[in-house]
Amino acid sequence: MITQFLLLGIRHPRLVSIILAIITLLAAAGLPGLTVDTGFDSLIPASDPARQVYQRVMSEFGSDNKTIIYIRDPKLWTPAQLARLETLHRGMEGLRDVTRIDSLFTLHTVDSSNGKVNAKPLLRAAPKTLEEAIAARDSAMRNPLYLGNFFSNDGNVMAMVVSAMNVDEDPEFNRRLYTSLEGLLEKNRSHFEQMVQVGPPRITVELKDALFEDFILLGPLSALILVTAIVLFLRSWMAAVIPIVTAGVTIVWTFGLLAWLEIPINILSAMLPSLIIVIGSTEDTHMVAAFFRGLTDDHPDARGKAISYMARHLGIPVVLTVLTTVLGFGSNLFTDIGLIQQFAFASTFAMFANGLITMLLVPMLLSWFGPEQREEMEASTASGMPDHIMSVFRHYQTHHPRATLTITALMCAFFLHQASTLYVTNDPLSYFPEDRPLIQDTKQIHKDLAGIKVFFIALDAGAENAFQRPDNVAKLAEIQTFMQKQGVFDRSISLADHLAYVNREFHGGYEHLALPKTRQLIAQYLMFFQRGDLDSYVSHDYSRANIVVRHNISDSHTLNGYIRELEDVVLSIAGPDMKVNIVGENLMVNNAAETLMVGQVKSLFTLLAMIFLIMSAMFTSFKGGAIALIPAIIPIAMMFGIMGVLDIPLNPGTAMVAVIAIGIAVDGTIHLLARYNEKCRRTSDYQAAVNEAVEEEAPPLIVSSLALALGFGILLFSNFTVVAQFGALAAATMLFSIFANLLITPIVMSRVRLVGLYQILGMKVDQAVLEESPLFRDMTEYQRRKAILISELNEFPAGDLLVEQDTVGRSMYLILSGQVEVIRRDGDQARVLATLHPGQVFGEIGYIREMQRTADVRALSAVSALRFDYTRMQKDLKFFPNIVAKLNFNISYILGERLAEMVGKKS
Amino acid sequence: MKAGRYFILPWLLAAAAAVATESRENWSGPQIMQEVHARQHLYPYIYEEQSIVLVDRNGFRDTRTARRYSRIEADGSIQLLLVFETPIPVKGVALLARRDATGMVTSQLYLPALGQQLIASDPGDHGSGFMGTDFSVESLTGELLSEYLYVRSDDLELENQAYFSVDVYRAGDNPAKTRPLRRHFIRQDNLFITRSDHFDARGEVVRRQRSYDLKVVDGSMWHANLMLMDDYREQHQTLIKVDRRIFSRDYVPTEMFSGAWLFEHFQAQPAGDAEPPEDAASANNGDQNL
Repeated sequence: MITQFLLLGIRHPRLVSIILAIITLLAAAGLPGLTVDTGFDSLIPASDPARQVYQRVMSEFGSDNKTIIYIRDPKLWTPAQLARLETLHRGMEGLRDVTRIDSLFTLHTVDSSNGKVNAKPLLRAAPKTLEEAIAARDSAMRNPLYLGNFFSNDGNVMAMVVSAMNVDEDPEFNRRLYTSLEGLLEKNRSHFEQMVQVGPPRITVELKDALFEDFILLGPLSALILVTAIVLFLRSWMAAVIPIVTAGVTIVWTFGLLAWLEIPINILSAMLPSLIIVIGSTEDTHMVAAFFRGLTDDHPDARGKAISYMARHLGIPVVLTVLTTVLGFGSNLFTDIGLIQQFAFASTFAMFANGLITMLLVPMLLSWFGPEQREEMEASTASGMPDHIMSVFRHYQTHHPRATLTITALMCAFFLHQASTLYVTNDPLSYFPEDRPLIQDTKQIHKDLAGIKVFFIALDAGAENAFQRPDNVAKLAEIQTFMQKQGVFDRSISLADHLAYVNREFHGGYEHLALPKTRQLIAQYLMFFQRGDLDSYVSHDYSRANIVVRHNISDSHTLNGYIRELEDVVLSIAGPDMKVNIVGENLMVNNAAETLMVGQVKSLFTLLAMIFLIMSAMFTSFKGGAIALIPAIIPIAMMFGIMGVLDIPLNPGTAMVAVIAIGIAVDGTIHLLARYNEKCRRTSDYQAAVNEAVEEEAPPLIVSSLALALGFGILLFSNFTVVAQFGALAAATMLFSIFANLLITPIVMSRVRLVGLYQILGMKVDQAVLEESPLFRDMTEYQRRKAILISELNEFPAGDLLVEQDTVGRSMYLILSGQVEVIRRDGDQARVLATLHPGQVFGEIGYIREMQRTADVRALSAVSALRFDYTRMQKDLKFFPNIVAKLNFNISYILGERLAEMVGKKS
Repeated sequence: MKAGRYFILPWLLAAAAAVATESRENWSGPQIMQEVHARQHLYPYIYEEQSIVLVDRNGFRDTRTARRYSRIEADGSIQLLLVFETPIPVKGVALLARRDATGMVTSQLYLPALGQQLIASDPGDHGSGFMGTDFSVESLTGELLSEYLYVRSDDLELENQAYFSVDVYRAGDNPAKTRPLRRHFIRQDNLFITRSDHFDARGEVVRRQRSYDLKVVDGSMWHANLMLMDDYREQHQTLIKVDRRIFSRDYVPTEMFSGAWLFEHFQAQPAGDAEPPEDAASANNGDQNL
């Protein structure tokens, strides 16, 4: 059936072309509606219960989504510079989306420096004299709430914090805000040493721009590399162009579908064109290679014959490899993280579509444009790189198989040990390379002020005015003291800090920061704050309080560990009557890293199990399933080990490598096993079958793996670290898979005999012959088919001598078609003992006992016979004990019948 | 007697208005402000019971009640005392301000929870809100005309009322080169400032004070029972509602504008976090002296 499907494009080219064209046009029509999502929301699991709490806390205490305008200048506190900053501040106030600006011009302070308590704005407007400017600086620097948050210790850095709201949920919100702010900053930049903005709008815009750059760069680059690699290795333009055509159609289908389904593209799906081109090319390469093998110079319809050959030999392997690749990508669907889920959907569909398109289009293209001579590929690969690689591998396979296996096992153990140091991160800023200005600016802010990442510790006492009570305020301070001991968070501010500061100022500004001790004093101090001053720290009715924490931790595992520790302590300090929530978008994003890791481990094991089961079923042997896992497990162990050695974290990009790489690496194994199985049908020398299978499959396998490695390597040019790391690791895994597929798998494979389920089911035999044959007595149809497949199929022309009298042979034959005669020679006389028909067996005595043949057996017509070799059957006994035992029993039965017949004749 | 006075008041006002109409068109900014000031300060002793409502950017309201005592002394100095009554934990918190004859404003704070001490406080300028409100100390004591330069701007009509508009500059500023600090909108019929727009350096309105529920209280003297200050930048409002107003020297004796009076009547509460009992609060509210 699969073969028929592969030939559909040949048999109905017009129909297939029209269907493909219609789908492609439909998909292309949707492309203009494609949307891009670079928001952080897709990094948080949809089911995360913290989302609701986060939304609630945000609505009460203000968003943690703020842009910091970082300004550095040694002459910051001069009238001229402050006037420029005021103009900037007012300009930002006028921007459409800006809801609030916290800066020197809006912050209030309580100051007792001139002997009088003065609750006032730090600076209502730019000062006119240097003295006023310096007084404002002194006042700002005196306030511990602002030091490190808005002003650096040396006074040369100032931050303006811009809060904005996307009221209309306008998709252009971030770009509009970023561009507007950038326009205002640009006017002032030349006057200041440094002036930059860092915040969600900039990060989102840069993500989006980088994503588009990736889109434009990576796809064409992958295509170029692929074409170059294929032309270089296979010396065939046809082999290079075909994958580009199928990939092109697949890309249109995939992105068209995404557009129709309103699934946005994200930073991971930006690499899809590259993946489609690179991964999709493997099947094309195998198919073109098979086509070349099938070419016969002297046939008038060489292309047709070659395509039939390709369809016959590659049908099942292609379906299987598409299936495993789809499974590899599809296993990412089970994650709860939108970013990966969207990518998984798109990539799974892409791999499925590519398989379908390849199976329909490649035979059609080959029938139209394929070469008619076979020399191209064979000549080019004979002395190429694959042969060099294989000669090295063959040496070790032949001379040091055990040592090779042992060293590989030790190597895997070492890499797995290294993998134990892996850590996980999901921080959006880690998506960018370190040398990107955005990252540099973020680090600069962290160095001079506090980290730009914010989370909240929200406490709910459930009673009005609870946080005017000294004991509850003290709890806030106690939590902050613990955080200081943790030493990982840059800064925390709460109501307690505000009260301690005002307390100090009301005591002349000389005492240390102590908390007010009475409820009345707290309430009376609170009268000196403007309402906006405490918005972020306490609810209107003082029943809920909030500690705002800033940090710069990007290692999710470390952050999550500290947050868990903090959570325990906060719960214990808050007591049972208080509800506690530690929330923040960056916390949810980082927390999702754990989900990501668990999800990937699950996906990995699910995929391994599925491949094992599918391959076990396909080769009707658990050993077959286990062998198929070898080239999957070895490269993965090596990949994780390298991640551990090179300190590459698990992130949304790298976490997917394992499952995707398995899905692809196992493709080569399937081709190899299928070819080995085919070879075993014609020889009892399994080592020779392995060598032949490897020899035939190595060139396409090496070429496709190298092309894949190069294609994945292209992703190193991505603007995103996660994508580049994904590319590098996937490329390395592809190279490791060559090693595993062509060095390790053959060593193991030669010790196993496999029979494909598809061969059993697809075998064409005369059922009546089999049912009547005594050799298959009491066997089910499945057992009969399997028994046939573990034998060797021989074809004999008429007149050919199948068994020669007086020679020693250990083979027994079952006639499938044709007739033979059994001739006994005595001296010069020959006597026909019997004429045997399909279903009948001969040579069984030689099979049972090593002795000279007692008669000749000659083909009367063209004969097709199954040969059961004693040595091979002995070997197969361990692989297929039930079948071989049954066969042996039936041979005994046949011999018994013969004996009874002879005794009967004698008597 | 009092009823008779109020009966003739409209007639008096109408007569005054008729006399003034002739020359009003030619009044300068300072002349308008002189007239305004003269009418607002006809009676020097005022006691008010106020509700101060603070509205934040989310629309949440905090209500405080306070008593306001003010008196204008013979030398032109003004004394003002604002004592908070509720919420209970802030009871007794007081702002004591004095503007002397020269225009110098001093202010002191009393926080009972801090003990018997007055804390010197900077009264701030017109834009500085006191104690979390949007009103400044100056808006309570009134502008000292000599400190500002008043420039009459175009008259206008708002809600069917004729208005003078006067731009206020800092004394010494050149109106041609600087922007006004604020603009007063003065009803021409009663010379009452019903609206003041406060500008920033760029000329944008950042705060707006409006007066409502105007009542003629004596002769041509009007008072507003409702004052609203909108802070457009901070997005909050303060509403002062006068619940009770008494013009009487007896209600504002000189001795109450002192620390001693405050210490005696609003003593420091004991340390602890419990709400002071209601009865204790009422026993300590100074009512007996009013």
